[in-house]
Amino acid sequence: MHSNFIDQVKKSNLGQAWLVLLLTIFFGGSLAGVQIKLGPVIEQNKINETLEKVPELIMGKALAEKMAAQQQLTDIRPMRVAVDYEGRQIVYSAYETRYQGKMLGWVVKTAGRGYADTIELLLGLDPTISRITGLYILDQKETPGLGNKILEEKWRNQFIGKSVNNPVLVVKTGAKGEGEINAISGATISSSSVTQIINTATSQLRPVLAADTGPAQIKNDREKTSGPEINSDKE
Amino acid sequence: MEKEKKSEPVSKSVLKSAKEEETTRINVGPSPHFGHIHSTTRLMMTDVLIALVPVILVSLYVFQWFAVKQLMICILTCIGTEAACTRMRNRQSTLYDGSAVVTALILGLSLPATAPWYVAMIGSVVAIGIGKMVFGGLGMNLFNPAMVGRAFVMIAFAGVMSASGYELASTGVDALSQATPLNIFKQTGAITPIYDMFWGVTNGSIGETSAFACLLGGFYLVWRGVAAWEIPLGVIIAVIFWGTIGTIINPESQWTVLHHLFSGSLLFGAFFIATDPVTSPLSAKGRFQFGIGVGIILMLLRSFSGYPEGMMFAVLLMNALSPLINRWTIPKPFGVKTSRIL
Amino acid sequence: MAEQPTTTERFIQGILPENPVYRQLLGLCPTLAVTANLQSALTMAGAVCFVMFCANVVISLIRNLLKPHLRIVVFTLTIATFVTIADRFLAAYLYGMSKMLGPYIPLIIVNCIIICRCEVCASKQSPITAAGDALGQSIGFGIALFSIAFVRELLGTGTLFGFQVMPETWPGWGIMVLPPGAFLTFGILLAGVNRITMYQDARKKHRGL
Repeated sequence: MHSNFIDQVKKSNLGQAWLVLLLTIFFGGSLAGVQIKLGPVIEQNKINETLEKVPELIMGKALAEKMAAQQQLTDIRPMRVAVDYEGRQIVYSAYETRYQGKMLGWVVKTAGRGYADTIELLLGLDPTISRITGLYILDQKETPGLGNKILEEKWRNQFIGKSVNNPVLVVKTGAKGEGEINAISGATISSSSVTQIINTATSQLRPVLAADTGPAQIKNDREKTSGPEINSDKE
Repeated sequence: MEKEKKSEPVSKSVLKSAKEEETTRINVGPSPHFGHIHSTTRLMMTDVLIALVPVILVSLYVFQWFAVKQLMICILTCIGTEAACTRMRNRQSTLYDGSAVVTALILGLSLPATAPWYVAMIGSVVAIGIGKMVFGGLGMNLFNPAMVGRAFVMIAFAGVMSASGYELASTGVDALSQATPLNIFKQTGAITPIYDMFWGVTNGSIGETSAFACLLGGFYLVWRGVAAWEIPLGVIIAVIFWGTIGTIINPESQWTVLHHLFSGSLLFGAFFIATDPVTSPLSAKGRFQFGIGVGIILMLLRSFSGYPEGMMFAVLLMNALSPLINRWTIPKPFGVKTSRIL
Repeated sequence: MAEQPTTTERFIQGILPENPVYRQLLGLCPTLAVTANLQSALTMAGAVCFVMFCANVVISLIRNLLKPHLRIVVFTLTIATFVTIADRFLAAYLYGMSKMLGPYIPLIIVNCIIICRCEVCASKQSPITAAGDALGQSIGFGIALFSIAFVRELLGTGTLFGFQVMPETWPGWGIMVLPPGAFLTFGILLAGVNRITMYQDARKKHRGL
C-alpha cells in the first residue's frame, strides 16, 4: 500500500519534473538577484554613453576637456522632444546643456538611412539651432574602407561651425561655401546620408527647440518629460 | 501501364528521327560542350587569346604602361598560383592548357589601370586559388574564376576599386584624368560622346573601354565556336529591351540604348566573361536564358544600385543559377511531346 | 559501459585533438560572427568558458538526479541561466564590448559546444572531470577564435588588439572584416588543420608499421 503510493508519486508529472521545477525556482531567484545588483549599473552605462559625449559636442573637444579637468561640470538635462511633422509625431531625445544657468546648446540623438544600414548619430547644436557645434557617429555599418570613413574625426570636424539655416550640401571636392561639406571620395552616398539626417533633424527641431529659450517654459516641459526613464529611448 | 504508355512515343521518336535526320539539325548539349572544332582545352584557350589581342592592343594604346604593369602582374601571379596549387595537390601540371593565362588576362583587363600592384596580385591568387583550384581545378569551378578574384579585391579594397578609384590626375595618360563614362553620367548626368566610347579613348577598366575591340574579338570567338553566341545575344537583347523602355519613359535623356551598350564592361563581359563554358549552362536554350539573366541583373544594378556598373555581380549571380538553368533546360529526348520541366 | 576518459585526458582532448571548432565543427555561428577583431573574439571565448565551466559543474553535481527524457530541458535551463548572468555582467562592466557583441552573447544559449559537453561528459562524470573538460574545450574554442580573429584583424585593419602592427601604408582588406572574410579565413585555416592532422596520422601509421 505504502510502496504503491510512492510509485504513483514517482510516475506523476510532479514526480518526474521536480528537478526541473526546483532548478527553475533556484535559477530564477539567482537571476533576479543579479538583475537587482547589476540593473542600475547597466542603466547608468546606457545613459553615460550619450552623456559623456555631450559637452564635447557642444563646446569642442579642447574646451570640454579643460572644463572637465577643472571640475566645471555642465548641467545636462535629457528630455524628449515631440515634433509634429507632416501629420506624424516624431520623438527625438535631446540633451539641453547649460553651464551655471547659461544655455550652451543642444545635443540631439537622431538616425536615418545610410548606404548599408541605419546611421545613428549625435548632433551638437547651438541654442538657436542655427549652427552645428559637433557631430558624433554612434552606430553605422557602412562599407569598410569607404563609407565607414564617416567615423573619422577629420571628416566629422568639417561640420563644426556650419550654418544649418539652409540645408547642408555635399560637394565632391573643394567645399568653401557656408553650408558645404566635402564628400568622402568614393562614398558620396554615405556622406550625403549623414547630411540628409542632419538636415531633416534640424529642420524638424528648429521650431520646437529654438523657441524654447524662455526659462519658465522649459521648466514646465522638464517636469513633464525628464526623469531617468527618458533615456531608454528608441531601442 | 505507365511504362507502356511512355515507351510508345520513344519508339516513335526513333522512327521519326531516322526520317527527319536529313532536314533537322540536332543540337546536343552535354559535354564536351566547347563547340565541335576544339578537341582540347589548349586549342580553345589559344583562340581566346587570339580574340583578346585587339582588346589588349587598345588597352596598351590607351593606358600605356599602366596596362602592361597590370597584365604582367596578373599573368605572373596566376601562373605561380596555379603551379603552387597543382604541386600541393600532387597533380600533373595544368599550366600548358593556357587556362591560367586566360583567367589572368580577363582579370587584368577588368581591373582599373590605376589599381596598386597588390590589388592585381591578390586578385590573381584568389581567382586561381579560391575561384578555381579549391573546387578541383578547371571544369569543376562553380563561379568564373576571374570574377571571383575581382569580386574579392572589389570588396577588400573598395577605396581603389570604386568608381572614384579609376581617376588619377597628372600621369600623362589622357584617359586617366577623367571619370569613367558611366560614373560621369551617374554623378553629373553628362554624356560621353558615343564615338569615344566606341573606339575606347575613355577611362574604365583596362579592357572594357573600346566597344570596337570587344566586338572584333567577340565575333572571332563566336565564329570559331569557342563562345556560345546565345549568351552575348541574350545579354544584348536584355540591355536593348531595358534601354528602350528607359528611352520611352524618359525621351529627353541623351543616354541612349547605344550608350548603354558601348559603356562599361558590357560588351567585354558579354563576349569574354559570361561565355566561360565551365560556368555557363549547357544547352542552347539555357545559355540564352543565362544571357538574358546577366543583361537584366546588369541593368538593374546600373539603374538602381550604388555601383555605376554591374557586370561582375551579374555574371557571378547567374553562375550560381547555372545548375538550376541546366535542370530547367534538360534537352528532352527527340520527339517526346510533353516537356518534363523539373 | 566503455571506460570514460580521465580528467587529464578530457582536458587535453579539448584543446587540440577534439578541438570544438576545428575538429568537431561546433559553435560556428559565434566563430564566424565575432572574429572581426581579437578583443571581441577573446571576450566571446571568455564568456563561453564561464558558461561552459559553470554549466558542466552544475550538471555534473546533479547528474544522478537527471531523468533521461528531461535532461535536455535541465541542460538548457542551466546554460540559459549562466548565459544571462554573463550577458548582464558584460553589460554592466564591459559596456562597449557588450554593445559590440550584440546578440551573440545571448546566443551562447544555443551554442552546441556547451550542450554537447553536458551530454557527453558532465552528465556522466564527476564534477572535477567535468570542470577539466570544460576548461579544455574552452581553451580549444579560444584558440580557434584567436587564430581566426588574428588573421582577420591583421589583414582587415592592419592592427592587433587595436594596436597598429602593420606599416601605416597597409591597405586594410575590407572584405576580411565583413562576413565573407570570416568564411574564407575559417575555410582556409580548417584546410590547414586537416592537412596537418593528415600528415601526423600518416606518420603515426608509418611508425606503427
